[in-house]
Amino acid sequence: MINISEKNISTKKNITVDFFYSNLKEKINIKLLNNESGFNNLITEQNLHRPGLALAGFVDLFTFNRVQVFGNTENRYLQHLSEEKRIEVFKKIFEFDIPCIMLSDGNNPFPEMIEFANKKNVCIFGSDYSTTKLSYIISDFLDDQFAPSLSLHGSFIDVYGIGMLFVGKSGVGKSEVALDLVERGHRLVADDVVILTKKGEGILMGSGTDLVKHFMEVRGIGIIDVKSMFGVRAIRFQKRLEVIIELEIWDKDTTYTRTGLDDTVLTLQDVEIPYVKLPIVSGKNLTVIAEVIAMNYLLKHYGYDAAKVFQNNLLKRIQNKTDNVNRTINYFEHDFE
Amino acid sequence: MIETTVKIINNAGMHTRPAATIVKHAAKFQCEFFISKDGFNINGKSIIGVMTLAAEKGSEVTLTFEGPDEKEASEIILDFFNRGFDEL
Repeated sequence: MINISEKNISTKKNITVDFFYSNLKEKINIKLLNNESGFNNLITEQNLHRPGLALAGFVDLFTFNRVQVFGNTENRYLQHLSEEKRIEVFKKIFEFDIPCIMLSDGNNPFPEMIEFANKKNVCIFGSDYSTTKLSYIISDFLDDQFAPSLSLHGSFIDVYGIGMLFVGKSGVGKSEVALDLVERGHRLVADDVVILTKKGEGILMGSGTDLVKHFMEVRGIGIIDVKSMFGVRAIRFQKRLEVIIELEIWDKDTTYTRTGLDDTVLTLQDVEIPYVKLPIVSGKNLTVIAEVIAMNYLLKHYGYDAAKVFQNNLLKRIQNKTDNVNRTINYFEHDFE
Repeated sequence: MIETTVKIINNAGMHTRPAATIVKHAAKFQCEFFISKDGFNINGKSIIGVMTLAAEKGSEVTLTFEGPDEKEASEIILDFFNRGFDEL
């Protein structure tokens, strides 16, 4: 089993507005509408807030430390106020330490708003997206940024589209299996250090680190770069984790599954991941077995579970007690190949 | 289990050459060996892992040893850290 301690988990406490802006500006085409003085403000929460009530004067429970999204409602409300009243509203709002403001639907900020924002070092961003779409995209980004990430020792490979993580003791041959799979056309996500981040409920996404990317160490050779050596088809940057395979030297006291009827799972970050323990014995081709595991997983995913089908056939035979065991076919036709 | 925190004291930090030596020492022992820093808890027997930490001068890392020969392993490896990876 894999040992996971607190030390394997890291969580971001905050991100700067600068980081937020530079990551999202091209993705959703947001523009900075005032000066850059608020770039060092920190975003500490993944949730968003629509400050409608706060604008109307009710600031109890105003979650000012979230990204504030001004949609059409907020804009229309501010529009119907007189200029003096608006200044009063902004004065009250900007008393709070707001990280940044996001205007949706292509709304333009009022001159008073820009003035206050510059004075209080708050950035105002504008986007043409609708509030719902914008909120969804920003939430998704912030959720990802603030999700705890788990670093594990292993090799992570996409085998026929199935994200497979190989774990096991150092020197057991994880990297060699990875290399062999890459040679057979599968794609390496990360070797040695894999970072897993929870994405939504029940999904763990894995990738490597920015320093290591697709470099790997092979005992006796040293460090190699899989991308340069095998080309771009041999790598990918991220993959959902779907199966964990633990490699271990064959241990006569451990029982390995023979039927595959009882699925074992490993729980990582509250996500259950199918788990297979593979003994290493001489003459065993782990690469092919990895491919078979991936295909079996795919078959199960599409509704065919070989172990269950076989079990049903057997039960039917036992219940009916009609025939003895026969050849697959009753009559050999004249096919003497 | 032996757990100890150690400071990187050589100028170049934990770069390729010291990483290789740490891994070489660690591989001689049966015990599990982990180095952790900033939410990364990496296997001390994997050179890529050790280098991932990119530990600079002055940073602190936590070493964890667990297994039958943990005492000998920790002595040798800790000594190597304290000698500034022989680069002082």
